[in-house]
Amino acid sequence: MALIRVEHVSKAFAGRHGSISIMQDISFDVANSDFLALVGPSGCGKSTLLRLIQGLDRPTSGQVLFRDQPISSVCPQMAMVFQSFALYPWLTVAQNVAFGLEALGWAPDRIKNQVERYISVTGLDGFQEAYPRELSGGMRQRVGLARALAVEPSVLLMDEPFSALDPLTAEGLREEVLQLWRDPDLPPEAVLLVSHNIEEAIQLADRVIVLARRPSHVLADVRVDLPRPRDRKSSAFYDLTDKVYSLITEGGAPVAATPANGAPTPPQQAL
Amino acid sequence: MAEGGPTGPDGGDLPSRLADTGAAGAPERVSHSARRSAALYVAIPLFVAMYAAASGGLSFAGVASYLPTASVDVSYSFLRMAAAYFASLGFALAYGYYAATHRTGERVMIPILDILQSIPILGFFPFALIFFAGLTPGSWPGVNLASVFLIFTSMAWNMVFGVYESLKTLPAELKEVSDTFRLRGFLLFRRVLFPATINRLVYNSVLSWTAGWFFLVEAEIFTTNSSQALPGIGSFLSFAASGHNGQAFLAGIFVLIVLIALLDFAVWRPLGKWAQRFRYDTAPSGEGEVGPASGPAGRFRRVAAYVTRGVRTGVSRISTPLVQLASITRAPAPRSERRLALVSYVEVGAILVLGWLILIAIIVAVYNVFSGPVLPGVWAQIASLPLAMGASALRVTAAYLVCLAVSLPLAMWLARSQRAARFGMPTVEVIASFPATALFPVIIFELIPYLTPEGAAVLMLVTGMMWYLFFNILSGIRALPPDLEEAATSFGVRGWKRFTRVVLPGIFPALITGSITAFGGGWNTLIVAEYLSVSHSQTLSLFGVGRAIDLGYALPGRTGYPLMVAGLLTLVATVVAINELIWKPLYRRAVDKYRVD
Repeated sequence: MALIRVEHVSKAFAGRHGSISIMQDISFDVANSDFLALVGPSGCGKSTLLRLIQGLDRPTSGQVLFRDQPISSVCPQMAMVFQSFALYPWLTVAQNVAFGLEALGWAPDRIKNQVERYISVTGLDGFQEAYPRELSGGMRQRVGLARALAVEPSVLLMDEPFSALDPLTAEGLREEVLQLWRDPDLPPEAVLLVSHNIEEAIQLADRVIVLARRPSHVLADVRVDLPRPRDRKSSAFYDLTDKVYSLITEGGAPVAATPANGAPTPPQQAL
Repeated sequence: MAEGGPTGPDGGDLPSRLADTGAAGAPERVSHSARRSAALYVAIPLFVAMYAAASGGLSFAGVASYLPTASVDVSYSFLRMAAAYFASLGFALAYGYYAATHRTGERVMIPILDILQSIPILGFFPFALIFFAGLTPGSWPGVNLASVFLIFTSMAWNMVFGVYESLKTLPAELKEVSDTFRLRGFLLFRRVLFPATINRLVYNSVLSWTAGWFFLVEAEIFTTNSSQALPGIGSFLSFAASGHNGQAFLAGIFVLIVLIALLDFAVWRPLGKWAQRFRYDTAPSGEGEVGPASGPAGRFRRVAAYVTRGVRTGVSRISTPLVQLASITRAPAPRSERRLALVSYVEVGAILVLGWLILIAIIVAVYNVFSGPVLPGVWAQIASLPLAMGASALRVTAAYLVCLAVSLPLAMWLARSQRAARFGMPTVEVIASFPATALFPVIIFELIPYLTPEGAAVLMLVTGMMWYLFFNILSGIRALPPDLEEAATSFGVRGWKRFTRVVLPGIFPALITGSITAFGGGWNTLIVAEYLSVSHSQTLSLFGVGRAIDLGYALPGRTGYPLMVAGLLTLVATVVAINELIWKPLYRRAVDKYRVD
């Protein structure tokens, strides 16, 4: 059963001279236990798509289904991690992590325990009373992660979460995210990662959905079957990266992408 | 105590005492400046007292004997200020929040505010007096309500803009976070919306109090000799000066300074420190609230910013509010917003109906005032209003030129010389935080023999206009990029040429901003400056629109009301016209051509 179904979603914005079509007829499924990456050139609407999936915005046509229910407003079973962390400067780390729980109306004791748990899980012990301005970028994103995980979402949405961090910190945080993902006791059931970094996508995800230039559509749905931990220097890894890169730069016609082990995958997107 | 470093959202300089971002040694700077200001708060009155004691038979005991009365009076004044402030706060939160979250409401409410804040406040005071006194049968609630209303109008608009702007510049991602977690209602207000406004609110509260003191004292002086007297520090100082009672006057000044200093140290500084927590410092896009200002430098800059924000808003859209109203119905609704059209039309409709009702009320009131027989003497006054307006305008312009002649060199000196700035800036700031109107009685009663009545009026206007101009020019000079100056030096451009080619164009936007607000201050000071009647026996008057309004108010019974109304209408019409025809285009040009970004 697909957790999320994106069905023929199109999005256009009203511009000064008529409407601008960002994406057209995007369809794909997200299954339970999928770690999905969305990649594509700048402006192809990856972040917009993520917001459509969460319900922050509505598609111009088409629909998004979560557990077979159409999404008409913000879906509380999904939580987002933001590119620039989006922490409230006037709230402490603990308060920021508790943010979503307060909105859900949890009892204070329950909130406290939950916050403690996820602060621990994301390695923020000791920083509960610190303010975001006192933290480094990596720590701040951990707070963002803790905040998202604390509401125990079924789907974790990540909007270029590592691109505002320096390479070393980003690498460390990627490892941590993978560890959290592998832990069966922790939510979520699926992860959607938007990234402009193809290597990052292939390192983390099980599937990579490649979007075309604007107005975008799904170019390919590439399965990444490499066992984790993945070796970036392996030729299989390199081939995949190359494949995705070529797809993006060639941009136009959808191509049936083959996963590294050679078995063909039908394209997700009809012409 | 140089002010360099990061700029605030309006492009103005980062203001003074509580800024802890920016240049090195910042926390240390706070305590230094605090100490220096405290010293000045003590030194200036002490100096004045010693001078007075030396020049005439003043004794500390004599002064001290007046302290209890002065303290009581200043408490009345303080209570009025506090009432007006909390009313402004509530109003600002409600109005600003509504305007920031309702698109169509916004397009009506902000232009209205734009107009409201360009209307000289004190022009309304006689009306407020009549209105409120008429509402309540006994005399004291009415008069006090009128004064509270007056202070309210001097505080509220910039606070509304503060709330409105801080909500509109809330980083989109923080909004998204609250959307993703579906924060609603009070929780949303408490966790997100209200904290986002705190920085600006503290900022603007300090600013509002400065303006409020000015107007309150002015109002109290204004009503001193009428049947509706306001017991307060203004009237205390008036009586003291009119009776040539130097000791009482000193006691009054002393008590006022103590109160202002107390508020500064016990309320504004701690509040400002607390408000630091609510800054954004992470956004790389440079959207940042940077620290509040408790110093007058910040205050005057903020006043300027908010007035010109109104100007800017007007410039960036179509210039007249009526046309803006029309554009709401004319603009094609984008497809996705058509759903909301019905709701928006209802909102707009409600606001328009309210506006029309108010307009009709005003027209009816004006008609009633004019419908009875008008004394020929009063008609003569009304007929001379255009000339009177011209005379007043000339006076204000003269005062402006004096301010310019003082501010430019002073600002350049303080901006360039570190040594001068160390002592000059705190001095200027403390002086600027004191309501100049408190000194008007002295000017009227002691200085008129030396200056002519015209000179005294211009002097009073200068005190009401000076700091707006000065602090803005200062800010403009400080904001000049150093590389422009370096280039000038390396090409050998010096002296007068450098001033006209490099400095003046560079500070032109700030100069215009300062001039707009200085004139605003001038129009407001006009009412008291022109009609210098503080006691029945010494009535000096000048030909001008302020005098006309005062005269209309002071005439017995209701005979003077037509004059008052006509005078006010003339004043408002002229000021709004000047704003639209001179300042807005000038500002537009300044921003287009001279802005250094």
